[in-house]
Amino acid sequence: MNPNDGMNDNLNDNQRHGDSVKKTPRRRLWALAATGAGLLALAGCAKDAPQDTWQPAGPNAEQIDNLQQPVFLVAGIVGVIVFLAVGWAVFRYRDRGQGIPEQTHGKPVLEITLTVIPVLILIGVAIPTASTIFDLAKTDDTEMIVNVTGQQWWWEYDYPANGDNADRYGIDAPIVTSGQLVIPEDTKVLLRVTSRDVIHSYWIPKLNGKKDSVPGRVHPLRIEGSQPGIYAGQCTEFCGLSHAYMRMETVVLSRPDFDAWVANQLSSYTPPAAGTLAAAGESVFISQCARCHQVNGLANADGSLIVSAPEQYVVSGAAPNLTHLMTRNTFAGASWDLLNSSCRDDVWNATPEEFGARYLAGVSEPCLNQKDLREWLRNAPEKKPMYADPTKLQETDGKYRGMPALGLTEDQIDALVAYLLELK
Amino acid sequence: MITTSSKLFYGLGAGSLVGAVLWMISGNSALGTVALFFLATALLFAGAIASFVRDGHVLSTDTAAHATAAATNGSPRASLWPLGTAISVGVLVVGLISSPGIFKVGVALTLAMLGEWMIQNWSERGSADSAYNTKIRDYLVHPLELPVAGALLLAVIVLSFSRLMLALDKSAGVAVFGVAAALVLAVGTLIAFRRNVSRRIVGAMSAVVLVALASAGVATALDGERDQLTEAAAEDHFAHRGCTEEKEYSDKKASRSVGAKSNILATVILRDGQLVAEVAGYEGLQSEVYIQRTNPSTILFINETDEARRMVVSYGKVVEDLGEGVEREIALESCTSKVEKGGQQSVTVRIPQPSFASDEPFSITVPGVESARLTVVVP
Repeated sequence: MNPNDGMNDNLNDNQRHGDSVKKTPRRRLWALAATGAGLLALAGCAKDAPQDTWQPAGPNAEQIDNLQQPVFLVAGIVGVIVFLAVGWAVFRYRDRGQGIPEQTHGKPVLEITLTVIPVLILIGVAIPTASTIFDLAKTDDTEMIVNVTGQQWWWEYDYPANGDNADRYGIDAPIVTSGQLVIPEDTKVLLRVTSRDVIHSYWIPKLNGKKDSVPGRVHPLRIEGSQPGIYAGQCTEFCGLSHAYMRMETVVLSRPDFDAWVANQLSSYTPPAAGTLAAAGESVFISQCARCHQVNGLANADGSLIVSAPEQYVVSGAAPNLTHLMTRNTFAGASWDLLNSSCRDDVWNATPEEFGARYLAGVSEPCLNQKDLREWLRNAPEKKPMYADPTKLQETDGKYRGMPALGLTEDQIDALVAYLLELK
Repeated sequence: MITTSSKLFYGLGAGSLVGAVLWMISGNSALGTVALFFLATALLFAGAIASFVRDGHVLSTDTAAHATAAATNGSPRASLWPLGTAISVGVLVVGLISSPGIFKVGVALTLAMLGEWMIQNWSERGSADSAYNTKIRDYLVHPLELPVAGALLLAVIVLSFSRLMLALDKSAGVAVFGVAAALVLAVGTLIAFRRNVSRRIVGAMSAVVLVALASAGVATALDGERDQLTEAAAEDHFAHRGCTEEKEYSDKKASRSVGAKSNILATVILRDGQLVAEVAGYEGLQSEVYIQRTNPSTILFINETDEARRMVVSYGKVVEDLGEGVEREIALESCTSKVEKGGQQSVTVRIPQPSFASDEPFSITVPGVESARLTVVVP
């Protein structure tokens, strides 16, 4: 008996049922491709897309949008034409056993045409592109300046108390904050973007394009919001372990609301009433947190001001300034909300007219996102990956990247939460 | 067939086998028995190979093979590796006595020489054809030898150049290296136009130039750096100390680096006895400079006055505990070296504390010019 007989039988079976056997995987491929394309198309319909580049909310982003819409259209049309032409050529001239067609060398008219058309298209795209780039780089009409400093894995904002900041907006002492950048509506704000450690990138898609923050360099980025609200973004340059948790929000307030915000930021520190849980929390803060986190006005028992020294403990040399923490809506590099979900929705979904009042109300005890804040205080590196294992800090000379687990007791956490709630 | 060399292997193998049996009977550790058995097996296997290839000899009856037999070829050329190994071991021994650096060089050289020696030895037994043997050696060693030799050559050139540049006066250096560059260009052009020039001549010329450069490098390294650099080092500019007014070495038309100048936080200009600042992002001249806390920030100083001046950035004081209750106050400051008229120099500062934490305001000043002062704010 021929050992291949069985195989031949199988082959014959396959040949007999060849159509159905071949079509099944092909149909599956088509179904998969159609599903993928459908999902992509549906993704474009998402309403809750705070980082959508196609929904500009300021003149800079609108300028980019005005450029990208026609460029995308032109690129799409060219892409479809090329795709169809290639598909047609592949199908029309597929191998059917025919002979090799006549071979010719060069066709000047066709070659020149195929060179001139793309050149014209590129010139057509280049002129508005260059114009937009130069427009976006303008800084001579700046009305406000904010220094933006990136470090692993959060953003710091400081408002210099000079020039227009002081003259027009009443910022007569430096304001240092983090997580949320607050700017007045319809104001040309110049961000001076830099970094303390590695390269990051600052991007609020609805307000402008992105700008790298590079150690030792100061990169200017214009930003302007046309309507009160919160605009989200995130670091867009891979910067280490918790890059994905390095988020930021820009809050646009009407001018009166912004003035109120500035006044509150400049208000002096009020210690908690003696004997309260918050007062106990202040002691915990001084012993556990104040070595890295600055709270302006916080003083020792002898009245001497407490100055944090993050440069001794953190690689970047900085930790978020927590003065007026509860006027922000986020913490830990804007990774988590300080507001619980219902209060957050109240702020995020507010109309432009209502937004300012809701935002300026800050974080009250009923609105506090106790769960995430307590988890953070209990063990920060477990919540957000950071190089904070004290046994593995030889390379950084004993310094952390991020916040270590402080080993707080539940009583200390209760007191600390009560104290932080007072930082308004 | 038991050939001459196989007799040796068989004999040693048999001896090892007997030794293994005796070791086993004697009740010593099993390890010795196993080792001797392995040795016996290896030796008997080598003997079998020698028998099979008949010691690699050509039979006297095989006259056709006589012309191509290895024995009819010339013996391998003299090798320099044994000498090199001996010298390397000498370096190693000298290093062992004198310094760890020389010892490490000795170890590296010894390993390299032994490696070369072994590979040459191996390649000389590759075949009866010495040209082929050289070829297989080159295939194996060139990918390592050439980059290492290139790197060493480059290191010699760079080091020699750097020693020369540090020793020559700044203006003489410009002239010397201008002439040297012109000569390189001229000789290169000549060679390019005369393609039939002998490679030996070019090689010899290059060797002479290399030897001259290396010799000059060694001589200038022994002689030391030019006076100004020695003075500057003694003045401790590079540690940013001694930011005083005294007349010291000044950097003519100083300009530390293009990289630093290309992106600076502020340009501070000394003009008509006053300091003004151009700050990135701000329109017009500023009397105040904001510097982010703990952020390395570069400030460029331009001196537009006739006197050589330096810029000093002062950012508070720290108290150093010297023990036994003794404390010392140290001013935190960074400064440029003195810059002559029209010159510019940058300094990078990283200020650890905010300005509100200091009793004294942070400032940028110019020693000797009382009216020159800018306020520094660190939020």
